[in-house]
Amino acid sequence: MKARWLPPSGLALLSSAIATLLAILVGSSPAQAKDHVDLQFWDMIWGPPEYIDAGKALVEQFNQQHPDITVTYRSIPWTNWYQTFVTAIGSGTAPDISTGAGYQAVQLYDQGAILPIDDLISQWKSSGKLDDFLPNTVDILKYDNHYVALPWAIDIRVWYYRKDLLAAANMQPPTTWDEFKAAAQTLTNPSADQYGVVACGDTLGSHYLYTVVLNNGGGLFSADRKPDLESSRNLEALQFLADLVQKHCVYPASAGYHDEDEVSAFTQGKGAFTLHAPGLGTRLPKFSDKIGVLQPLVGPHGDQGTIYWVNNIMLYKQGKHPAEAKVFLEWWSEHEKDLWIKGRVTQLPVRKSFTADPYFQNNPETKFILDHYVPLGKTTATHSTQIFPKLNEVEGEGVMQALMQNLLQGKAVDASVKEAASRVNSIMEE
Amino acid sequence: MSVATAPRRERPSASTGWASKLSIQKLPYLLLLPSFALICIIELYPFTTGVSYSLHKGTLLGTGAFVGWENYLHLFASADFYHSLYFSLVFALFNVVFSYLIGLGLALFLNLDFPGRGFCRVALLIPWIVPAIVSIVSWKWLIADRGGLANIILSLFGIGPIYFLSDSHWAMVAVIVIKIWRSFPFMMLSLLAALQVIDRTLYEAGKLDGANSWQLFWHITLPHLKNISIVQAILMIIWSINDFETPYLLTQGGPANATENLILLAYRYTFGRNDVGRGSAVALLTLVILMVLATIMMRQQRRPA
Repeated sequence: MKARWLPPSGLALLSSAIATLLAILVGSSPAQAKDHVDLQFWDMIWGPPEYIDAGKALVEQFNQQHPDITVTYRSIPWTNWYQTFVTAIGSGTAPDISTGAGYQAVQLYDQGAILPIDDLISQWKSSGKLDDFLPNTVDILKYDNHYVALPWAIDIRVWYYRKDLLAAANMQPPTTWDEFKAAAQTLTNPSADQYGVVACGDTLGSHYLYTVVLNNGGGLFSADRKPDLESSRNLEALQFLADLVQKHCVYPASAGYHDEDEVSAFTQGKGAFTLHAPGLGTRLPKFSDKIGVLQPLVGPHGDQGTIYWVNNIMLYKQGKHPAEAKVFLEWWSEHEKDLWIKGRVTQLPVRKSFTADPYFQNNPETKFILDHYVPLGKTTATHSTQIFPKLNEVEGEGVMQALMQNLLQGKAVDASVKEAASRVNSIMEE
Repeated sequence: MSVATAPRRERPSASTGWASKLSIQKLPYLLLLPSFALICIIELYPFTTGVSYSLHKGTLLGTGAFVGWENYLHLFASADFYHSLYFSLVFALFNVVFSYLIGLGLALFLNLDFPGRGFCRVALLIPWIVPAIVSIVSWKWLIADRGGLANIILSLFGIGPIYFLSDSHWAMVAVIVIKIWRSFPFMMLSLLAALQVIDRTLYEAGKLDGANSWQLFWHITLPHLKNISIVQAILMIIWSINDFETPYLLTQGGPANATENLILLAYRYTFGRNDVGRGSAVALLTLVILMVLATIMMRQQRRPA
């Protein structure tokens, strides 16, 4: 007898199993397969390690609320950030959306990589959503008549001081340049390894230059974006710094210091004043009661000001799903408060609704900076009212760091500025 | 009955098989072909691409317009380039000379027979073995601040404090000293190996002739070390001029570009200024300088000892 290979019922079962398998492999209907979109989101590291976890959790929340879109979160370190992005763009592997530094969007837009978000801004303007942003933070990211990015956070520089050192010297915190100079001199005691100011020579060091220049009503550029480093207000501001060095009020190791060295020396009491980003008290909980924020200093002509950057979220032209990327951009911008509360971002939010949160209002340091420093913030483009691509090169080329290092070594202001101006001109001319 | 035998198959002789079609002269070249192809891919292609970039005004996102020699002319008119060239040559010169002298002294010492020689040989390799990031960051802690060990020791002699990384001249000294510290083990190891193959009977003969220690060293030891010394010097010059990690990790080329060598200058142009053309031009000029130096030294090697 010929053996039956499979009973009829078994054949039916097998057929249905194969049909089911085929259905799974082929997937749902073509219309449904097209609806699901994958997006790549690159996020810079804007805070301590818990920031990355907060970012991933926020992305996961978005994915759950939007089953048709899956966003993949990728954390990008700051080291060689520019090379990371340009090599990705050059190789055709740019993300759909990323956060980035203050001038990243304009520089990459100029190289054809960024997708403008004029339509989104226009919608938000009509619906009133733009009113939630702090003044000027949206328009600052307009370049070539296009909005190249959405603002998401403010990085700003403020003067910190050691309350205990001033109290021990019976001094009130200075409010003007003259008072600051006098205080720095009084608080300098080389035999005790204590100086008026502790600074650094790296990128943060260059921020001292921007801060004093803007504080004095100066600016690196004229209104029509011509380099103007040698203006009288700028030279006066840099002479203020140079005078502190010449009177030996600045910690001598500052020229060779990095950001972390400056903070370490400040906590050790080697300097009574230092310039830094917001959040220093939060970052140094053991010293938070000893650290205060100065009132914004008044310059010799009555001006006030400090350097700030409005950091970006931007879309890339290489992204294949711009509509969905904009959906994510809008959602992220409206929900990113958790990045501060859980992720401990060291910068300040650009949304008024966020800054009104008790998390910011109940932190005296943050509230003080929001109320007193943010309204005075200006960009490196000053006196030009809008940022432009070359700013990234001016800041990244090293010319301003070299200028600060020259001043910290006690070199003459005129000669140092002349050398720096020549380099800035060369960058702008290219 | 005769037994039929299969016709004897003759082996093809060399003069009649496929090998004969390739004459003895062509075969070596064919065997070299895969290596040559690999060298072309991994060396010739990047080199020609670099030359091409140096003749264009490119960024990291595109090759840009052809500008001919403009990048090179800009460099020859640039104070930054001359300073970088000066620092690179000074850095290389001091590193080669002092790492050689220290390496030679230690090699002569380690060539003697004494207790603990094995341990000393290994311990003296540590500066070369330790990863650069570890050693250079450690050096930074030693010299950057008033409370560093260097200034503590200087204070015992009533000197200082000296903020080595905050002054242009001292920063140059610091970078050079740290490079010498990282380089001498290589010199020591190579020279020690060369010392150990010198025929001992030469020394015995010299002593019999009344030569003193210095004469033995000058007339026997040094001539035998000539070839290895030249090779070491060539390698150390190349490694010194191409050194990115020592100045970058220690000072980032500062303060005020004082310790910026040619490689850091190329890096600054390429990644700081987004000027790939000029960065490539610096790199190619560095290559030319190294080739000239290497050629001069290799000619020295061919001279009789």
